[in-house]
Amino acid sequence: MQKTKLPAVVATFVVCFAFWILLTWSFSAQELIAGAVVSLCVALFAARFFIHKKAGWLANPAKFFSCLGFWLCIFPVELWKANVNMAKIVFGGCKNVNPGIVKVPTAMKSDYGVAAVSNSITLTPGTITMEVAEDPQEQRNYLYVHWINVEETDPAKAGEAIKGTLEKGLRRVWQ
Amino acid sequence: MVLRIVCDVFFLIGLIFALAGTLGILKMPDTFSRMQASTCVSTLGTLGVCIGGVLYAAIGMHSASAAVKIAVIGLLILITNPIGSHVLARGAYKAGIRPEKKMETDDLGRDFDE
Repeated sequence: MQKTKLPAVVATFVVCFAFWILLTWSFSAQELIAGAVVSLCVALFAARFFIHKKAGWLANPAKFFSCLGFWLCIFPVELWKANVNMAKIVFGGCKNVNPGIVKVPTAMKSDYGVAAVSNSITLTPGTITMEVAEDPQEQRNYLYVHWINVEETDPAKAGEAIKGTLEKGLRRVWQ
Repeated sequence: MVLRIVCDVFFLIGLIFALAGTLGILKMPDTFSRMQASTCVSTLGTLGVCIGGVLYAAIGMHSASAAVKIAVIGLLILITNPIGSHVLARGAYKAGIRPEKKMETDDLGRDFDE
């Protein structure tokens, strides 16, 4: 079990308080104070589960803006393309589906990077991450991805087709 | 009037993709493919409706509070949905569910089933 650290508590507090403000959307002193007290209690208990490594990584402007750019520009385009593909398959009568599970290597090293890539893959229709495996000898992480229409069985090419653009965008934020 | 049309276009996009997802759930041949189709509903299906709702609440109703709440709903769905579908798919696979038609490749079965 990790120990609770001050930066982690501060970061958790900021997230909780931001959510409180978004959900109540009232700026009277009473509401804000109640929110601050509740967020502080939650942050004290939950910080060690919520933050595992450095707490302030998003304070770096380069990372912050590439994170924002990814979620606002790159990801919606990919999401749209994948959704249109899926809709075409479905309205075409689900005839030419060719499902399979492929193993693709990922360049990500950290837990957060792997989680971000696999969640982005799952979020685009047509691909679901089934399992994450680590190869201790090569120091690489592999994802097992269920793919609705297998076009490539070669791991590297399949990886490029599934997550090439997503991973390039996310590499600027996480390692 | 223009706002109403823009909102309706977003609603329509959302509904079309929700329809595609639902049809996919009914018509796809096996468990995992059905799960793939259901992602359509929870991504562009909800997002389209959420964006339309945010625009309508913010500009049509002048209610920042409602707009922010709709945006938070969309954000929370985007955060929680992939974790849910990942765990469902993994659980189904570990429980021994396999498609009737043989899969094109099955690297997971190759590496983990002995």
